[in-house]
Amino acid sequence: MTRIRNLVCLLLLSLTAGTNAAGAEDSYLADRLGMARVLVDRYDFRDAKVLSVMREVPRHLFIPRGYQSQAYADHPVPIGEGQTISQPYIVAFMTEILRLKPTDRVLEVGTGSGYQAAVASKLVSEVYTIEIFESLASTAASALSSLGFRNVFTRRGDGYYGWKEKAPFDAIIVTCAGAHIPPPLLRQLKNGGRMVMPVGGPFLAQNLVFIEKESDGSLKQRNVLPVSFVRLLGH
Amino acid sequence: MGILAAIFLLSAAAIAYEIFLIRLLSFRFWPHFVPLIVSQAMLGLGASGVAIQLLRRRIASNPGGVFAWLVLLAAPSFDLFFRVSLFIPFDPFLLLWRMSAWPSFALFFLLLSVPFFLAGGAVGVPLSFGIGRTGPVYAASFAGTAAGAILALPSFSFLPTESLLRVPTALGIAAGACVLTFPSGCPRLSRASFLAVPALLLLVSPAPLSPSPYKDLAAALRLPGSRVIASRFGPSADYRTVFAPALHIAPGLAFTFDGEIPPQAAVFADGEARGIVPVPQKGVLPDYLRFFPAALPYRLVTRPAVLQLGLRGTEGVLAAAGNGASSVTVIEPSEEYARLVAEDLLPFSGGWPDSVPVEIVTEGARNFLARDPRRFDIIEFADISSGTFSSLGIHATGETFLATREGIRASLSRLGDNGVLAVSGWLKVPPRESVKILRTIRDELENGEVALAGDRVLVIRGWGSFAAVARKEPFAPPEVERARRFCGEMGFAVVWPREGGAGLSTDPGERAVQDAIEWALAGKGRPPGKALFDLRPATDDSPYFHRFLDLRSIPEFRRILGSQWAPFMEWGVMFLLLSLAVSVLFALIFLLLPPVLALRRKGEGGLSLAAYFSCLGVGYMLVELTFLKIGILVLGDTIRAATAAIGGFALFSGAGSALSGRLGPGKTMGRMIFPGIALLSIAGFLCLSLSSPILLASGKFWQASAFIASIAPAAFLMGIPFPAAISMLSRADSTAIPLAWGVNGFFSVCGASLASVGALWWGFRLTVFFGALLYLLAGALFPRLAR
Repeated sequence: MTRIRNLVCLLLLSLTAGTNAAGAEDSYLADRLGMARVLVDRYDFRDAKVLSVMREVPRHLFIPRGYQSQAYADHPVPIGEGQTISQPYIVAFMTEILRLKPTDRVLEVGTGSGYQAAVASKLVSEVYTIEIFESLASTAASALSSLGFRNVFTRRGDGYYGWKEKAPFDAIIVTCAGAHIPPPLLRQLKNGGRMVMPVGGPFLAQNLVFIEKESDGSLKQRNVLPVSFVRLLGH
Repeated sequence: MGILAAIFLLSAAAIAYEIFLIRLLSFRFWPHFVPLIVSQAMLGLGASGVAIQLLRRRIASNPGGVFAWLVLLAAPSFDLFFRVSLFIPFDPFLLLWRMSAWPSFALFFLLLSVPFFLAGGAVGVPLSFGIGRTGPVYAASFAGTAAGAILALPSFSFLPTESLLRVPTALGIAAGACVLTFPSGCPRLSRASFLAVPALLLLVSPAPLSPSPYKDLAAALRLPGSRVIASRFGPSADYRTVFAPALHIAPGLAFTFDGEIPPQAAVFADGEARGIVPVPQKGVLPDYLRFFPAALPYRLVTRPAVLQLGLRGTEGVLAAAGNGASSVTVIEPSEEYARLVAEDLLPFSGGWPDSVPVEIVTEGARNFLARDPRRFDIIEFADISSGTFSSLGIHATGETFLATREGIRASLSRLGDNGVLAVSGWLKVPPRESVKILRTIRDELENGEVALAGDRVLVIRGWGSFAAVARKEPFAPPEVERARRFCGEMGFAVVWPREGGAGLSTDPGERAVQDAIEWALAGKGRPPGKALFDLRPATDDSPYFHRFLDLRSIPEFRRILGSQWAPFMEWGVMFLLLSLAVSVLFALIFLLLPPVLALRRKGEGGLSLAAYFSCLGVGYMLVELTFLKIGILVLGDTIRAATAAIGGFALFSGAGSALSGRLGPGKTMGRMIFPGIALLSIAGFLCLSLSSPILLASGKFWQASAFIASIAPAAFLMGIPFPAAISMLSRADSTAIPLAWGVNGFFSVCGASLASVGALWWGFRLTVFFGALLYLLAGALFPRLAR
């Protein structure tokens, strides 16, 4: 049943992508460039590589049709299951702070729309991404596949436990808020690896926490930005 | 007699609807949206006055028939329009960034306002067209309000949350039955058959109540394999316990914990997380509970007797037991929550640990602290950033009497020798709760014999949370060293006391926390957050620990909105201010301008009339709601206070209304009634607040008696000015009565918001004083009404 649904989603997305490629894509290009300008002008965001990727990845194709007109606006957008796609600045900031390298293998917890994974995948070797909701996982997987993101590997499951078989990772990016840093994720982070995660209590200003695992395995942490994310479920 | 019975029953239904609406909307959305929605919905009361005014000629041809149909239409409206509102795709969460969400919001609140409109019209028509005498009609309305408020309290315990609206529907049917014999120009049979609609609503299943997808409960229920394993409902909240394999809740857990968190269930109160219940692991206490900053006090006191203010599932007790407590006493105001955890979840939790005696006391924490003579080695205020210290049930008002200076004083007084007061919570950016609670503790310590409190406080921080311990005696160097060792083991950091320059962090965020704590405890440096926040300690006169918004900062907030993120904005308070602004705007647009201008054309007195009834509407709510708020302290919880205040005021005001017709000429009003209201409301409030230290330690009977005695004299007199003025108008200019009814309704709504705003920024005493002043102003305007 799931496979049939995935196929239907894939078919629909292919049709949509075809249409967009022909006409609507151009109209979103201006929005995308506008979004990048906002990142520079309003947030003083200067990472050229990340900006370039965000100008390139079609964010609107990761967003439900009813909200696509807001895809490039400076705020989060609902994607179903009570989840949101993060504000563009947060995506940019989290990507930048991880100092991603082309050889890196990255774990993302909370695939959501798949947009963050798509952005990261342009900068690294492989992205492994986990989503707990079947519907989001399959939609994101279809979108990533149809748009040709071959180095993104998706899985449905409880991201709290990470992706043990593919560990360790050079970077871990958690895109949904939780109230603690899951110990399994810290174990799956390479020595010298970086991790970023929004943490905090429910409905409070949450902190974006950046963690570095030193070469001796010790952890260094700092709060880098107050943010508000949809909560990491059950966390 | 039928008319009075119908008004009585419909008024009872309307107030029950209002009280239940607060619960239903708290469950579906977040509490701070509730006052906005409810107050706007109540504008229906005011709108009914406008409608009567505009349609008075048509109504005048058959006022009895209009009255009967308003009652009959109101009966099904309570349930029906709420069901319809569930179909509106509205989520307050989206209001922040989607303009298209606002029309849905408007439609949503318009639907909820329909029952208020019909019920308001059913009282306004008899008053406006002389169906029955004014005094008894108004008294029946007040008495119904009292009965409805009193009936609402047990209903919370007997009916599931989804079924609460059956109560106003049933009352509406009873009211409808009372008007079947009323002459209305319509066959009795067709009116009787109309009552089949609400009867049918009683028979069908209640509307399913789904929380916003962004609420904790909704998120937990979406997890694969989740299921509700226990639930209870009662006056304080609707409690549901959800188990899901993917629940891993451990706020602030240290990085150094490398083990596994056992499976958990989470308890939700009105859809918001309230506590954790870990699954027992073969009689072994969960190890992870030792890896939090909040475990600090257990490193300073050996085998402590622990008092926890607020139940946190079973996790709080397990943490105390796991950290070596010799006994644990938990104070929890909500009986249903305590029973859910201790009884219903027993098969899941395995009960309390055998290693320590555990006692759960169900009463208000301040009442316990005042009453119980025992002393404790650790008194825990856990997680002051969460909803735990918000008032229960209707917690939109947010009174937190535990975190006031008086609350801290009471806690410090229950500490044994070398006992510590322990507080913990999240570190916000910029720091807020941490700074405010530490300032409160410092002020209380220095208020006594201690000159400088700095050496009596230890503060540590984890990666996102803090813990502080305070006591009356200084901490000795070995104790500070123990705290440092604990931090070293856990990966935490000591923030206070500072280790001189060497202890200062170079990271700007860390440094900001250190500076904020130093400012709170030593008064040095600059206040955190560029002085955007009001970080003065809360007091019992304005017990809003979580109110941080400084009104002068709003322009700055507005400037940074968009470039920084939304949580800076203290949205709860902003929605309250928005509620007040919208209420006033509605009142002015829909009410004051057109009718006042129309009256001016006919003669003088329109503005005086509007001002008089505005004063009554606002004044009544300021006095009543402020008594309600102090009642939360004295009576121990919000729902009892709301029942006693709303029921008591309505009952005594109803008695005053019934007797209003026996009063003599206007001189009695001017000389006795209005000054009497002003004097008695201030005196009653002062008596209650000044005697609260004694009342807190008294039994429930004496607390309730004192509360009722303090409100009765003022409430009795407050029932007189409205019917007295209506009687006068009916003799002089009856066409103005609907306007009076509308003005009173609209400004009651404004008064409800203003009472909260006043309590937040001016304090209770000034708010009551302002209410009393409005009554004096009404007294000055009263003679003008006869012109």
